[in-house]
This record gives sequence, C-alpha cells and structure tokens, in this order.
Amino acid sequence: MPVVELSYSRLQKLIGKVSKKQITESLPFLGLDIESDNEDLVRVEYSPNRPDYCTDFGIALGLQGLFGIKTGAIKLNIKKTNDYIIRVDPSVTKIRPFVTGIIAKNGRIDDDIIKQLMALQEDLHLGIGRKRKKSSIGIHDLDKMSFPLTYTTTKRTHKFTPLNLEKELTISEILENTDVGRNYGKILGNSDIVPLILDSKKQTISFPPIINSAITTVTTNTRNLFVEVTGINKDDAENMLSVVATILQTAGFVLVSAKILGVKNTSPKFELKKISINSNLINEILGSNLSNSQIILSLKKSRLDAVLKGKNIICSIPSYRFDIFGLMDLVEEVALGYGIQNFEPILSPSQTLGQSNTTSIKIKSLSLIMIGLGYTEALNSSLTSKRVLYDMTNRQSTDMISVLDSKSQEHTILRDSILPELLENLSRNIHASYPQKLFETGIVFSKGNPINEITNFAGISSHQDASFTEIKSILQSTLKIGFNLEIETKTSSHPTFEEGRTASILHHGKIIGIIGEINTKTIENYKIRVPVVGFEIYLSDLIID
Amino acid sequence: MSQVFHEIEKKIITALKNNPQQTPEKLEKSTNLSPDQIRRGIEWLKLKELAIVIESQSITISLGKNGLDSFYNGLPERRLLNLLKNESKKFKVLQNELGSIFGPAMGIARKNNWIDTSEDEIFLKNYPSEIPGEKTLKQIGENKILKNIIDKNDLSAIFKRPDFILENIIKNKEISLTEIAKSIEITTEPTNAINVESKVPDVFVARTHPLKDTIDEIREIFVTLGFTEIIGSMTQPSFWNFDALFTPQDHPARELQDTFYLDGFSTKKIGTLDQIKKISESHKKNWRYSWNIDEARKTVLRTHTTCVTIKHLAENKLDEARVFSLGRVFRNEKVSYKHLVEFNQIEGIVVGKNANLRNLMGIQREFYKRIGITKIKFWPTFFPYTEPSLQTMVYNDKLGKWIELFGMGVFRQEVTKPLGITKPVLAWGGGIERIAMLKYGLDDVREFYNNNLNWLRNTTKCQ
Repeated sequence: MPVVELSYSRLQKLIGKVSKKQITESLPFLGLDIESDNEDLVRVEYSPNRPDYCTDFGIALGLQGLFGIKTGAIKLNIKKTNDYIIRVDPSVTKIRPFVTGIIAKNGRIDDDIIKQLMALQEDLHLGIGRKRKKSSIGIHDLDKMSFPLTYTTTKRTHKFTPLNLEKELTISEILENTDVGRNYGKILGNSDIVPLILDSKKQTISFPPIINSAITTVTTNTRNLFVEVTGINKDDAENMLSVVATILQTAGFVLVSAKILGVKNTSPKFELKKISINSNLINEILGSNLSNSQIILSLKKSRLDAVLKGKNIICSIPSYRFDIFGLMDLVEEVALGYGIQNFEPILSPSQTLGQSNTTSIKIKSLSLIMIGLGYTEALNSSLTSKRVLYDMTNRQSTDMISVLDSKSQEHTILRDSILPELLENLSRNIHASYPQKLFETGIVFSKGNPINEITNFAGISSHQDASFTEIKSILQSTLKIGFNLEIETKTSSHPTFEEGRTASILHHGKIIGIIGEINTKTIENYKIRVPVVGFEIYLSDLIID
Repeated sequence: MSQVFHEIEKKIITALKNNPQQTPEKLEKSTNLSPDQIRRGIEWLKLKELAIVIESQSITISLGKNGLDSFYNGLPERRLLNLLKNESKKFKVLQNELGSIFGPAMGIARKNNWIDTSEDEIFLKNYPSEIPGEKTLKQIGENKILKNIIDKNDLSAIFKRPDFILENIIKNKEISLTEIAKSIEITTEPTNAINVESKVPDVFVARTHPLKDTIDEIREIFVTLGFTEIIGSMTQPSFWNFDALFTPQDHPARELQDTFYLDGFSTKKIGTLDQIKKISESHKKNWRYSWNIDEARKTVLRTHTTCVTIKHLAENKLDEARVFSLGRVFRNEKVSYKHLVEFNQIEGIVVGKNANLRNLMGIQREFYKRIGITKIKFWPTFFPYTEPSLQTMVYNDKLGKWIELFGMGVFRQEVTKPLGITKPVLAWGGGIERIAMLKYGLDDVREFYNNNLNWLRNTTKCQ
C-alpha cells in the first residue's frame, strides 16, 4: 500500500479548528493506517483506490467531513471560456485517441505543492493509469505556451528538449536513452507515429505518455497551470483529470475550462454520478437501524451529496470518487460517515451447525498415532527448490512444476514428494540429539490439467540402529491401527533408497508408496552421520477421498 | 515426612552415629562397603546436607636410596672424616675407598672447614660431633613419618641431596554427620522405596507442530461457531483467484512480481460458460478494458483462500451457510523475518439471516475472545472484492501496540451477481502465522518452517 507523509500543522491550517490528537484519532477512520507518528510529521498508508488521499489536500477534505466542519460533495467551480482550445488530429485515433485538460490559475506554488503534485501524478499513473497505459497526465506552466494546442502525432524523428534535459533529442533517442522512455515506450508498440501535443507556435508541449517538454517545466515561479490527460479511454482520462482538478481547487487555484475539439473527443464535464439507494439495504447490510436523515448526514460526512426523494435516497458522487461503483460502495460511505466505532458488534445464534472436513479429521488421527510412536510433526513448504527435491536426493527432475520469476531461489518448484524436505530437516539438525523421528502430511503436486494435488504422508527415522524392519513396523502398525489397512512390501528400487533395502508399499496389489533405508549417497549429500530409514505414501484414494 | 534412604546411606549414617568422625577407609571397615559405595554414599548424603566432609592434606617423608645408604653407613662426609680421623691420606687412596661419594663428601667437608689439603694429601682439621642431617636420618630411619614433626633446619641439609628424601602427599577426608542427620532414626527393615526427590533426565516428547496446533485450535473455534470446513486446490486458474473476485486483469496485484504463476500452465476448464460470460461482462462494464480469457486461464498458486469459498458459493448457491477454508496461500515476496512466500490463511463466509456487518464484527470479537484477545477495535480498510471492508486491530501487551489481524467485509455485488449469488455474503480472513507468532512469542516467522528440533522439543505446547 502506498504511503504519504503529512504535516499536522499544514493539515490543521487546511481543516480548520482541530487538535493534533483529534487528527491522529480520526485518520484510521478514513481508512488510513498510521505507519509512524513523529511530532509534526505523520506517515499514513492509504488505499490505492483513493488517489486523492496521496495529498494532504485530499485528506483534509475527508477529515473536514468526519469532523462535520464541511460536509457534502466538493463542487468544482470551473470558469467557462473559449480561450483554451485543444484540437484533436484524427491521426491519434489508432494510437491514443483521447485528450482532456483543464486550466488552474492564480495559485501559489511552493516546493511542498510541487512535491505533492508529483506524488499525485505518479500515483494516478500507477493506479487508474495502469502504468500510463490507460491514461497519463502532464502538468505544465500555462504561461510558457500559446493556445490553441493540437493533440496530434509525429514521426519518431521529431526532435524536442524533454523535461530535465538541456538538449534536443529525437523521439527514438528518448525511447532508447532515457529511463522513462525505456520503461513506458512499449505502450506505443512499433507504430511509426507517436502522440504529441504542440502549441500554436509549433512548440512541443508534451510527448504522451512518456515525457513533457522542458519549456513548460513547473517551478516555484509558476502561477498558472495547464493539466492535460491523454489515454485510450475517455472516462478514465476524465476521472484522472477530475482528481487533479479537485486537488488544485482545494489548493487555492481558480479552475478555467479547456475546450476539446475533434473526433470522439469532447470537453470534460465533471458530471456528478447519481445513484439511488434505499435505507433498507443499508440497514440490512450494516445491521443498523439508521433513519433516512442519519443516512443522509453520514453520506455528507463522507463528502457526497444526498437527498431524499420518495422512499429512496438519491446520492450524488463527484467524478473524482471513481472508486464508487454501486450500492455497496454507498453502504460503506454511510458506515464511514456514521463512524465504524459507533457500530456495536453483536453475536447472533448460528443458524447452521459446524463441522470439520473429514480430511482434516483423518489427518489429525494419523498425526496422533505418529506422535504416540514417538514421531514429531514437521512442517515444510510446498514450494521448494530443485536442489532439495532432486539434486540432493538423486531423483529425476523431468516433470518439475516451476513458478515464474520467484524472488527466492529456495522457492521455485512445487514439491512432488515430502521425503526430500524431511531429509533436509535432518541435515539441519545434525547437532541435536538422536534418535530423530519426523513425519509430515501435506499436498504434493504433479502435472495434469488441472494440476493434480494429492495428500501424501511421509515419515523418517534417524539413529544408530535405524533399520528397514523398524520403519516397516511403524508404517504397518500405523495404517492397521488407524484405518484397518493391511500393507505388503515388494522389492523395488529408488534413487534415494539403498539398493536391496528398498520396497514398494502395496495395498490390495496397488502401489501406494515407497519404503526403505536411505542410501549412502543421499546421506552423504546431506552430511548426515547416522543411518536413516523412511517411507512416503499417498493418502488420497487410500484414506482420503 | 520421613526420608527414604538407600541401604548404603543407612549403613554410613549408622556407622557415624557410633563413631562420629571417620575417614572413608575407616568407614569401609565399619560398614563393610566397597570404597566406591562409600564414595557414592558420602556424595548423596552431602547433597542432602546430612554429611559434612572435612578435607585436609598431610605430607609424609621417607628415605630414598642414598638416604638409606647414609642411614646405614653414615653420611658421605662423615665417612670421609672417619677415614681421616687417625691420619692424613692421599687423594687416590680416598677416591678408591669412597667411590662416587668422594666428590660430594669433599665438597661439604671443605666448605665446613673440617679438612685441609696439600698437593696430594688431605688432612683433618676439625672433627664435628654432629653433622647437619644426621639427626633427621636417625629420626626417619626406615619409616614414613609426618614432615611437620621434623626439625626443618636439620632436614634442609639433606632435603635437596639427590635421592635422599622422598616426599608423599596424603589427602585425608573426615566424615561426620550434620545435626539433622544425627537425629535421623534409621529403620533397619528393608523397604523398596526409592529416592523420589532426586533429579531425573529429560526425555524428548514427540509432538504435533506448534503451528498445526494453532491451526487446529482455530479450526475448532470456527466449527463451534457453526462453520463447516471446506478444502480447495492450492493451484487455481486466475479466473477464481482474481477475475471472479473483481480484480481487473491489468491490476498491479496480478503481476508476476506479486503472484506466483506456474510456468506454462493454462487451465482448460475454468468455470461454466455462464460464469465466464457474466464475469467478463462485469469487468468490461466496470473496469473498461477488453477482458481476455487466456489471462483468466493462467494458473497461479492461490494468493488467498477466498477463491475456494467464492467457488463453493457459486457452485452451491446457498441461502443459509457458514463455511470456512483453511490452508496454504502464496505471495511472491522476499523471505524475511516477517514475510514468507507460503503461509496459512483462514477464510470464512456467512450467508443468510443476520449476515450483516455488526454480526461480522461480533463473530470476529468472539473468535478473538476465544484465543485470549479481548482488546480489539475495527478500522475501515480496502479490499478489491468486499465493500464495506474492515480490519481488526488487536492490542498486544508484549509489543505495547495495536496489530492488524483479520480483514473482513461484505462481498461486492460486482462479485456475487455474476455468479448468481443473490444474498449478501460476509467474508473474513487472515494469516494464521501472525496469530501463532503472538502465541509462541516469536519475532521471526521463518522459525515455523525451520523444523529446528531444539525449538520443537522445547516449546511449550499450551501457551
């Protein structure tokens, strides 16, 4: 989960009259987990579905609601003009068809705001923008460009000076030689042409979704901003823009409309989404008995608008709250506005009778028998390594099931047997006193579609006098007393077991496993200094359905 | 309470009552026990604070070969003086007469100014009546005697001469009874009682794994709360792990870096045609992207057990149910003291009457109460497939802070509707290792999978 660092004093200025303690106590009830709290600075984790919480402006709006200082939806006051026109060239249709934008004027920009806007931009790119693929955003110094702008395409030979660089590069050079180019260039595929925003003087403003031009760099001297969003989906692009617009208005900017002209594109409307909900549903889900007016008040505290119309509540949702899909989201907004701490947990009698799974019960019985025989239960990972499963035990590794891109070398292959891991356990305990006796029951995997998952049971005994007879007696008596199963052993061979001291385990003529003395090679691989005997059988189809 | 004594102890106590201070050797005689039995018996009685052992040491001396020779024949210098008593003699004559002792005898006689020498003759100057060392030789004679009764000055004259004096260090033990022991009544009747108060060696107890114990405990709590256990596969098509749970195909959580995808495994049968159609439609409508069935076929190691419970619901369309699933889940993470790639999770659902948020909170509160956690609170949180979503925070006294445990919520209608589930479904779940760590006081989660016998053999089962 992403983290944002907040300053209590800044929050207090933004929210109004509240104490530091009130803020600390309320942050979790917005869904923000406090990670660390140190004098004026508090770091909180926020959910990726609330990008507005990546700035203190967004969090201040939320807290104002909870404290009841300001409630209801945030209305964007956008001054309509025809001064800022973006024309869309039809060539963008097949590449990145949509553009939208807004002007924000007369704001004060300090380092703190620049930092927050950059964080917001990154967060939007990662979340709703899906790493800039769906939509991406550019924030520019309005006074460094001249309108109308054109959203068009260009060849890869087109040159301009990108943000944070001092010399001109071609599009191809940007894609090959800069970090952003290499990270996001694949979004543009192999197309000959790439998207570009030009101003009326043919200056390059932006090369979406990769990088802005250096000309329009935002600094602490910037007063007026132009924000553009391009993307492959109009709604997502407008949603993204609405988060930035809301934050900028809260930060004190005056919003002015941009006019978008061209194929399929229209100027953003930032319309409120309306959803009608009945108090019965809310009370049914929450187990509460809230009146319509309590519900409306709670929704307003969650910074939404709500009015009663007939028996239903009509809820108006600002466009930056695109995390709200439907009714259940509104139920949550009511719960948050009302305060989770105000819901008293209740325990109603269960209408159903509980039951353990028969597999769990049988495995438990088997474990108890093994404990009685002096065997301690081991617990190993299902996801282990080729080294443990095959190399150390001399087994064939032809049918391995591996995972892609594991971050841990010890966890790359799904086990097809438990015994190798028990041997590995013994090798890590050679300094503990003997005898050492371990068993484990667990799932092993084999190829199939879907993958076969069966339950295996393995046991191992290691001490100076460990013998075939000992381990066969253990298995034989366990299955007999546990499940009234008779087994036989037939001479066999296995790469982990000693030739001549290895047997297949049979039940009613069907092979169910392997038993014997572990061979010298394996024991030496593991640097174990005492004899080891062991077995492994399938429980599936034997005692488990 | 009367103490039980070993036969050996009884005999020693009895002997010491008759004769209060004895050496081990004396005790051997008075008890008829072997030296080893006496040694053990004294040791036992000492541990019980019934016997006092005073240890001392003494040194005896006796004469060595040269000492004895001097005792019988006189000291070399005495023998030299005797030869010169009547007349001076030539060197050679004396050398022949005295042999190897001639040299030392000459040295001492000359040093004490008893003789004088010319070119080839030796004269007597003084004839001492007593030579240092002669008294000691006489005193010792053929015996062993205690060193401390001998005149130290006289002894020193011969002490360092080769093979004159042999020294012998003797350690002595004197055993006596403590006041308590003196009042002990020894019954001579034989008894088969043994010392039940003595220490005994540890044995290693075979046991179920501590984490399994926690899992069993949690299973039992939910069964008694009316839940039925279901089991599902660890390998799942992305369809049930993600798509059915409203996680869009381009969501970061689905990337390789968080989720284990099986190399080259595309599941053929992922769901019914109706399920696939409705879920893909819900994704297209709500997330606005083109849903790809091949993406849904990719097989993953389940990242949660929710895929098991939601599939169960979709297949059984239950109106009234309490179900849970317990098992391994996987995350592609770097292993550390707080992260494992594979851990256990419990996931439960409730459908039917009273399936509401307050009841969900009530079930959690009851669960925590039963594992001994009473200080809990609920905070809102976010999960892609539940709304509203909460997390339980529990207060840990040892750590002195609030810790996040189970997450919970009501399944989104975007999850339930496409699967034909019409009733609200409560869901909750979380990692079990975290609870087990609190229980066993561990701060490294890897310990559960190390199978370290020292840990397994010494960890208290009921904590």
